[in-house]
Amino acid sequence: MNYAMALDYQNCINCKACEAACKEENGVQLGADKQRIWVGQQESSRLGNPFVHFYPSQCNHCVDAPCVNVCPTGASYFTEEGLVMADKDKCILCKGCMEACPYDARFVDDQAVAVDKCTFCYDTRISKGETTTACQATCPTKVRLFGDLDDEKSELVQTLKKRLFFVLKEREGTVPKLMYLLPQNKEYAMSSIGAETTIHTWDAFRSILDAARTKRGA
Amino acid sequence: MEKWKRFGLEINNVSLKELLLHPVMLWGYLFLSIGIFGIYEVFHERYFLLSAHAFDAGLHPGSREVAEAMREAIFGAGGEVKREAPWTLYIANYMYMIYTGSGIIFLVALAELFGVEIIKKTAAGFMMFGLGIVFAGLFTIAVDLNILHMQWMFLSPNFGAGMWLMLPLYSIYIPFVLFEIYLLLTHNSAWAKKIAVGILVLSVAIDIVEYYIQAKLFNMNTARHLWTSYPNLTLYFILSAFVAASGMMIVYAYWTYRKTLQEAFDTLIDFLKKIATASILLLGAYEAMAFLFVDKKWAGVMLFGEFRTAFYLYVAVAMVVPFALLSCKRFRGAARTTVTLIAAVMILVGTYLGRYLFVYGGNAYPMSDRFGTGFEKYSEYESIKEVIYYAPSLAEICVAVGSIGVILLVYKIVDAYLSVSSISTH
Repeated sequence: MNYAMALDYQNCINCKACEAACKEENGVQLGADKQRIWVGQQESSRLGNPFVHFYPSQCNHCVDAPCVNVCPTGASYFTEEGLVMADKDKCILCKGCMEACPYDARFVDDQAVAVDKCTFCYDTRISKGETTTACQATCPTKVRLFGDLDDEKSELVQTLKKRLFFVLKEREGTVPKLMYLLPQNKEYAMSSIGAETTIHTWDAFRSILDAARTKRGA
Repeated sequence: MEKWKRFGLEINNVSLKELLLHPVMLWGYLFLSIGIFGIYEVFHERYFLLSAHAFDAGLHPGSREVAEAMREAIFGAGGEVKREAPWTLYIANYMYMIYTGSGIIFLVALAELFGVEIIKKTAAGFMMFGLGIVFAGLFTIAVDLNILHMQWMFLSPNFGAGMWLMLPLYSIYIPFVLFEIYLLLTHNSAWAKKIAVGILVLSVAIDIVEYYIQAKLFNMNTARHLWTSYPNLTLYFILSAFVAASGMMIVYAYWTYRKTLQEAFDTLIDFLKKIATASILLLGAYEAMAFLFVDKKWAGVMLFGEFRTAFYLYVAVAMVVPFALLSCKRFRGAARTTVTLIAAVMILVGTYLGRYLFVYGGNAYPMSDRFGTGFEKYSEYESIKEVIYYAPSLAEICVAVGSIGVILLVYKIVDAYLSVSSISTH
């Protein structure tokens, strides 16, 4: 199994239901800076027309996760299903994982005195047989789609086969598994994605994924 | 003074009262008490500040503590660790102390290998002082980490992580340096002389490995391009450590050997000045070249952005002015010593600023430019940050000041019993 998520971010209306559901589901610490998932915002204008982009975000569960590599105690680790987890009991608060993460996906849980992050609801849902995360289940505009990349028949893979997509900060070499679907509105796509972003097809990206998994020994 | 002899060492029979009330110890207590206040503040915030989880309001309806924790969540400072800038003054102070302390030990080992007589006479004092500074670094990092979970460093090690490698590194390094000091103090034993060269070569090798592991620690943080694109970080750490160490050695020599070495004091200072000027030249050349390779986003922040004033101040105070003062031949006698001391103090201040900039600079460029279209804000109520900088908290500053107390206390206690600062005549 190799769990991942596709995000049709053009649909995001910044209702923050996903943030609330995540906190509720996983008992996340309260506070604006204490988010396992969040909606990034960017305000800009083109030819005098202002616009706002909403970028739903969370841990990318990278295949070559630098946070796992730097963790001295194995508190950051991979599950067999390819998820990046943080074991709060083993965390010595060196914060190396927070420094290593290119996505700002980690924060300190002040009650546990340890680093916390998105687990794709592994503890509360996925390991108990459920097939969706809380953020996906609650999203009114169906931004998120959770699934198994190893299952060719899964809705996730089928969607990735049909749509072009990209991942964040690909140059960092982390091989992230949040796949952002290329907006079908061309103007929206051009304004919300950087010029250096590589757009992938499923077949092209699968070879990148496989190479990274082989390197990791997964 | 009456002495005992144990394991080839001559141990002074020191009056405990005299030792505890020695002026150096009193200064040490003062600094350390500031540090302990800092630790109290840190531990209060880390372990006792109220925080609430999403379940708390449901599980404890009407609880005053939960209400207070919610107030803290909304109006508070957001906890001890900032998400965008996890490494702060602790790491800068740790780096400064560890690199400077081991820089002294490294320089002494090199000087002994090359047969510099004046260093041979003073090696034990310098090495113990260097080790005291290393302890100050370890004191700082111990406060920064969650000490309650440290057993996992032994129970669940990740052998490839730079952070974990610190454990075996210092578990070997500290006893090894103590053994070197032991050999220096028992110089008249035949076997100590036989293995001296081998030990010195091994010492240099361990020092290089130490800087390599420190570089790996930063280099593994792939997202922070200031650290990953600095060319040959190991070399940078060694050069900058040599500059700081030479400044520290001049200050230590002035403090310890000004009277006891008599005429040879000038020889020692002249040697240290040569080390300082040569190290500054090399570091200056490195810094001038390095930013040709550093990621332009980070280089922009450091050279032309928010950090530029501090960066050029670092260049001036750590390198340019001390180099000019140390190279100037106009000063004679007492004025020469004073100018050298001023240059050394400037080196200490400047290199500290350099470490500060290295750590804070690594976090300066926000990670929030994730889609390649510019920086994002993560919540409704904040503005977009184009540079990340959080000034150190009072607790962090107190802990850094407290680490000076560790140096003074460790050094003075060892010196009182083993006279490491006395001049070797062998």
